[in-house]
Amino acid sequence: MANVETLALDCSNKATREVNNIIRQAAEDGVPAIEILNTQARHNIGVGILKPIHLIYRGHVGYYTVGLCDGVTAEIHGSSGWGVADNLLNGEVVVEGNAASSAAPALRGGRVIVKGSGGPRTAVGLKSGEVIVGGNAGYMSGFMMQNGRLIICGNAAKGLGDSMYQGQIWLGGEAEEIGSGVEQTDPEKGELEDVMATLERYKVKAPKNLKKLQSDKSLWNFNKHDFAAWKDAL
Amino acid sequence: MTGDFKRPPAYSGVWHPDAIEEIQEKAELGRYQIRGQATKRHSLPNFDDLVFTPAGLSRMPLEGYRERCDTQVVIGEGRVSRPLVLERPIMIAGMSFGALSINAKRALGMAATNCGISTCTGEGGMHPEEREHSSKLVMQYLPSRYGMNPYDLQKADMIEIGAGQGAKPGTGGVLLGLKMSEEVARMRDLPPGVDQRSGCRHPDWMGADDLYMKLEQIREVTNYEVPISIKVGAARIANDVRIACKADVDAIVFDGMEGGTAASPAIQLDHAGIPTIAAIAEAVEALHDMGKQNQIKLIVGGGIKNGADAAKAIALGADIVYLGTAPMIALNCHAPIYLEDYERLGTTPYECQHCHTGLCPVGITTQLPKLMARLDVDEAAERVTNYLNAITMEIQLFARSCGKNKVSDLDPNDLRALTHDVAIMTGIPMVGLNGRQPWWQKF
Repeated sequence: MANVETLALDCSNKATREVNNIIRQAAEDGVPAIEILNTQARHNIGVGILKPIHLIYRGHVGYYTVGLCDGVTAEIHGSSGWGVADNLLNGEVVVEGNAASSAAPALRGGRVIVKGSGGPRTAVGLKSGEVIVGGNAGYMSGFMMQNGRLIICGNAAKGLGDSMYQGQIWLGGEAEEIGSGVEQTDPEKGELEDVMATLERYKVKAPKNLKKLQSDKSLWNFNKHDFAAWKDAL
Repeated sequence: MTGDFKRPPAYSGVWHPDAIEEIQEKAELGRYQIRGQATKRHSLPNFDDLVFTPAGLSRMPLEGYRERCDTQVVIGEGRVSRPLVLERPIMIAGMSFGALSINAKRALGMAATNCGISTCTGEGGMHPEEREHSSKLVMQYLPSRYGMNPYDLQKADMIEIGAGQGAKPGTGGVLLGLKMSEEVARMRDLPPGVDQRSGCRHPDWMGADDLYMKLEQIREVTNYEVPISIKVGAARIANDVRIACKADVDAIVFDGMEGGTAASPAIQLDHAGIPTIAAIAEAVEALHDMGKQNQIKLIVGGGIKNGADAAKAIALGADIVYLGTAPMIALNCHAPIYLEDYERLGTTPYECQHCHTGLCPVGITTQLPKLMARLDVDEAAERVTNYLNAITMEIQLFARSCGKNKVSDLDPNDLRALTHDVAIMTGIPMVGLNGRQPWWQKF
């Protein structure tokens, strides 16, 4: 919530460049938080911010919100457009609503929490860090994950985790189809507890059961005897 | 008499030895063939089908050894605060650390710096040594986003959004396990030794409107300082130009089907995309249609070998040529040394296309320390510098001989076509017609 140390920034009648420059300058000056008003689902609001600051978006946001940032924390009181937290290096982004396609693409660190549902390709190319989806996740979520942890409390559409190299996917509901090179496995000691504690910390309703999925490494190196998997992967 | 007679091979036109070998190799591999370098097609329309028509009595040439002939090209002039100034109309194309050894990357960076031109990271992130050795470095922004971060974007002199390459348009990159060393894997956040298959479509944009927003995001991160280009495999040129124009790029790169690669499905190399010469003609027309020919620079690559190819590309309407394979050959690719290692790969110099194996005999496309040590960085940088100097002189030679004191002043009127195919493709008149339509078309 906004407090005396929070700067209010009204996006109305301001160009994207001006809005971002104000945020960057505030971060440079050590302002702890900015409340961003009248976001009107605009794109690229709060990108390229490389100093720690807390951003409070009052309303829906467009494409690439908190994209290519480092050390930024954000709460989005609405839904987000494509590519929220694109390539975030470190920090935390909470989307109170839904996130459109490719939420948290190529995340390299930090955590993204979507309290509603995520669109297709949620956490595509996840390289490190964590993505949590309170609801359902769309087609090919976790596609080509390289590492990190994706938690989906609801159901997942086709191709979940397809071609993932490493990392973990935790699924509360059902997957319409598990992607190539993905297997279900038993959690190791303490892993499930850690997932549950993380959900509780972000007040995301935990599902009754959670399945752990990971790469079966069958796509790490080509194997001509496993054509069924490779015909869709190579 | 009969003893001297040698019966010509009676190969089938359909089941010739190459086709038989290909089928048998697939029967062994269980997958399509993968190879490096470029298409094996011999009959593509190319720049050899064009000739210059230098000055005579009707136009005066410039003195070849004395008169100035400007070669500078600037990308993003009047559009960004730190445009990319190239001292020659040449850029070294994106080739990743991973595909190439770090020694090769350093040598290319040093040569490009010597010549006042740029080199490019390729996929896999910006290696600090490449940045250090390259005064002008283009950073590629690719679907995989390997090694991507805002700090390196800010260190770049231009950002190139990679949306395809000529060797394998519509397909992602491949880096086989032997080249996925500890360092390459660390930069890409991948496990060492895996066969890496990159995504071929950007995960977070689709179509012209999205691309505009993606460009805005990158411009925000780089403070609107550096130009942004988009690289596409030459295929659907006119529509791609329209989308690039709408997205307001500073330059568009078309990579023809002759373009090189470290690893590609072989079938893709030979059967996808269009030749560079055709790509230029279509792109120039589309840029004129959009009224952007003076704002957006056209960069073309794919099979450009010498100053004649480069000058012809410029005369057809390109602003800059992209060179990838040629500088690699100048590094030492195909050099007839370490012959026993070529033999071990089942090949010879001049026909080697084994970049994908990671066992490059001359130490360029490898990550194995023993092989990498075979490339002396300083010597290799000097060879590439010499090559770049030579082709710059060749480009100037044609410009001066056509009476132009700027290379960029070369234009289609300086060319004639030797073949009907290329004449139709490029709109350049056939030789012997004095620039006119055939005489019989008058009647």
